Amino acid sequence: MCLTTSGIVLLLTNPQVLGLTLEKRMKKSWRDSNWYSASTAFWKEYRRHKIGIIGLALLLAYVGMAIGAPYLVQYSPSPGAKVAPSFLAPAWMQVFDPGGVVTSDVIKDPNMGLTPDFVVNGTAPNQFSYSYLPSGGGTDFNRVEMTWTHLTNQTLHFRTPIDSTGNLPDCLDFVYFSYSFNWTYAKLPSDVNVTIDFAAETTGDFASREAGGLMFKLYMWLVDSAGNWWRVYQSYPPYASIYQMRVIDLNYFDIIEGWEGIVKHTDPSNELTLAVGLVPSRNMRTNLDYNGSVTVSVRKLSVIAFGDYFGILGTTDKGADAWSQLVYGSRVSLLIGTLATALSSIVGVAVGMTAGYFGGKIDEILMRIVDFLLVIPGLPLMMVLAAFLGPTIINIIIVISLLGWTGTSRLIRSQVMAEKNKAYVESARAIGASDTYIIYRHIFPNVTPILFADVTLGVVGAILSESGLAFLGLTDPSQPSWGRMLADAQGSGGFSNGAWWIVIFPGLMITVLSLSFTFVGHTLDQILNPRLRER
Amino acid sequence: MGLREYVIRRSIYMFLLIVAVVCFNFFLFRLPTLVLGVSPVDLMISEEMRRNLTRDMLEQLYFRFGLVPDPDIFDWIYMFWRYLVNMFTGNFGLSFISGQPVIDEIMGRLPNTLLLMGTSSLVAIMLGIWTGVKVAADPGSRKDVSAVTVALFIYALPIFWFGMMLLMIFAVYLPSVTGGLISFPLYGTIDTELWPTIKDSPFGGLIMAGDILHHLFLPMIALGVGGYGGYFLYMRNNLIDVMTEDYILTARAKGLDENQVLYKHGLKNALLPMVTVIALTFGFLINGATLTETVFTWYGLGRYIFTSLFQLDYPVVQAIFMIIAITAILANFVADLLYGVLDPRIKYA
Repeated sequence: MCLTTSGIVLLLTNPQVLGLTLEKRMKKSWRDSNWYSASTAFWKEYRRHKIGIIGLALLLAYVGMAIGAPYLVQYSPSPGAKVAPSFLAPAWMQVFDPGGVVTSDVIKDPNMGLTPDFVVNGTAPNQFSYSYLPSGGGTDFNRVEMTWTHLTNQTLHFRTPIDSTGNLPDCLDFVYFSYSFNWTYAKLPSDVNVTIDFAAETTGDFASREAGGLMFKLYMWLVDSAGNWWRVYQSYPPYASIYQMRVIDLNYFDIIEGWEGIVKHTDPSNELTLAVGLVPSRNMRTNLDYNGSVTVSVRKLSVIAFGDYFGILGTTDKGADAWSQLVYGSRVSLLIGTLATALSSIVGVAVGMTAGYFGGKIDEILMRIVDFLLVIPGLPLMMVLAAFLGPTIINIIIVISLLGWTGTSRLIRSQVMAEKNKAYVESARAIGASDTYIIYRHIFPNVTPILFADVTLGVVGAILSESGLAFLGLTDPSQPSWGRMLADAQGSGGFSNGAWWIVIFPGLMITVLSLSFTFVGHTLDQILNPRLRER
Repeated sequence: MGLREYVIRRSIYMFLLIVAVVCFNFFLFRLPTLVLGVSPVDLMISEEMRRNLTRDMLEQLYFRFGLVPDPDIFDWIYMFWRYLVNMFTGNFGLSFISGQPVIDEIMGRLPNTLLLMGTSSLVAIMLGIWTGVKVAADPGSRKDVSAVTVALFIYALPIFWFGMMLLMIFAVYLPSVTGGLISFPLYGTIDTELWPTIKDSPFGGLIMAGDILHHLFLPMIALGVGGYGGYFLYMRNNLIDVMTEDYILTARAKGLDENQVLYKHGLKNALLPMVTVIALTFGFLINGATLTETVFTWYGLGRYIFTSLFQLDYPVVQAIFMIIAITAILANFVADLLYGVLDPRIKYA
């Protein structure tokens, strides 16, 4: 055990080790270098501590999660980004509730990757045309185009009498495309969002006349195989030739009648169809003198059916995806934890070494400042400063490290005071080394081992402080954070609503992350702290 | 240097520290005014109201907050002087929100905080010492390793989350599972619905005490568990250190049985530094536990400092800050002296 530490001390006392390694590589094997033998010896020692290994593995998993966050999540991690109704349960909880509906995208390829079914309805097929244009690569999109070309006084057939339910269009001549999907009628979605991204280009009279936009409509219907149509959307002018997104939130009747009704009563195949049609409106009855064309192109069509279950971890009180917040929360915690500790360690080491090495007046002044900071109530001061400065990530880091360095500086000071009277410092001074040289080349490397454990444990404090501040609302409003997730759960009555998953998992993430740092820190302490080693 | 000189020197130093805290406090809570030029008055009255007020009225309004409109350097000195006088005469001013004297508001919450922190610290200290001694007798054993792991786990645990979990289990799920047989309140310090019963019943006091204990239980457990890890590790490490001393060897050589060595010789010596730590703990009792009190909506100082801060009620935050810091300084002083009195080996220097 002694060998290990002396190896590390040797490594650290000699800052030119790396340089030497490079030189020696020419003559001797690199395996003989101090650097290599010290770290392998250290690793051999570390490996014997089971909790150290567990801690390290957990830590690596978190780092992997933080780095791979964009690949792990599907939705926006912003706490305000509503993607579904509030407090939906995680999808895996559906195993306890086989009748439940998992939130899903029912159209398999919302970006028009598949050719839809086209139909030209009525007796005027020469006026309508359609095409499916797959992406040519690059910024080009897959899209579906429907065109209606009307020459002056061409006939159109209108429905008489007008369909009073409004489900069927006024004109019998129209073009539509459709996608079919399966849905078990026994399960009813709680909410359905239909998203369509379309552009409408008009020429001739449709573009030039004032009422041109009123002459046609874009409809969306839910259709079953028995031919029952339920209109869920009809468009209104103005139209634009650039793509615009419409999100249609189906209402209660759309779901009861259009979704469930059709499937349950007349459709044994559990098949539903979403149809999108370009239809001349009833205004055309009196305006048959129009001459021109309308082209509607659609590049995205998605139908999201929300059940009681959503995604990997359900949704938060604001209907945002909890899983993506959980994953991105690791970035915030790791960033603030490590940077705040790095900052406070730098200050702590600098102050501790100065105070310990020079002693006297400087020591007195610095230690009084430390005493002063120790009696100031920690969390309240952080709260006050974070509130005054504004809770951005950088400010939170500064605020946490402002109070975090006192412990480090005391530790380093006591170590330096023990080291500075040793013979090697004496001899360095005798050969005329300057104070700065002695501090950084001789004393610092000798107090480093004890610093490792202190720094690792400091990260735990910083992570817990960050989550505490976030819990109190002192966090960047646009950034997801585990403490903030807990605050949202608490403030919205998450667990009294039975949404235990948004309480348990963020807290578990904080606990396991700080636990992994604690385990690593404890192991480093066991190996490197000479006081513990002697036992 | 004798004890008397030491006490005098420490007292002077303590006084200087208090002065430093008082000055720091002044600048901390005037930071928005100093840096951003925004005063609490600006936040309370609109630009229009300000124009309608006469200079006299405006000055009076500012005066209430210990401020001066558009201060120059002499006004700052004047404000600082007024602040110093107020602080040293215990006049903390009026709360912006309630309009009541800050000291009354604080005194109303202090008993609750002391009750919560006192009981939970007691639980943590007792448990920490007890298990620490049990484990230190045989370091490295299975029992020791598992106890240390539990302590590390507690060290890593965010206590406010632990409190939320307790609430979820004991105040939401267990009541619904057991049909209300085991049930703890979800929030609050006392149940206001019980007030009529307390007033009418001859055992009103008892009912109230029971109700407070009922509300106290969960936050006390949360804070007690949170504090336990630290005390346990400190006790254990101290005792393991002590057990390597020569006088333990002597005691063993005399043929005393291991229990006697552990409790009579080891524990007594290991408790000495513990006393200091406990004294310091009691200094920070008043600090409250902002997070835990927020989770349990406990009517205490910890939550008060948080709500006041967000309502921009600076006199309150400033006063609580002062009181906490001064108690901590006093506790430090007492702990130092206590250590010296208890351990005759300590030399004053």
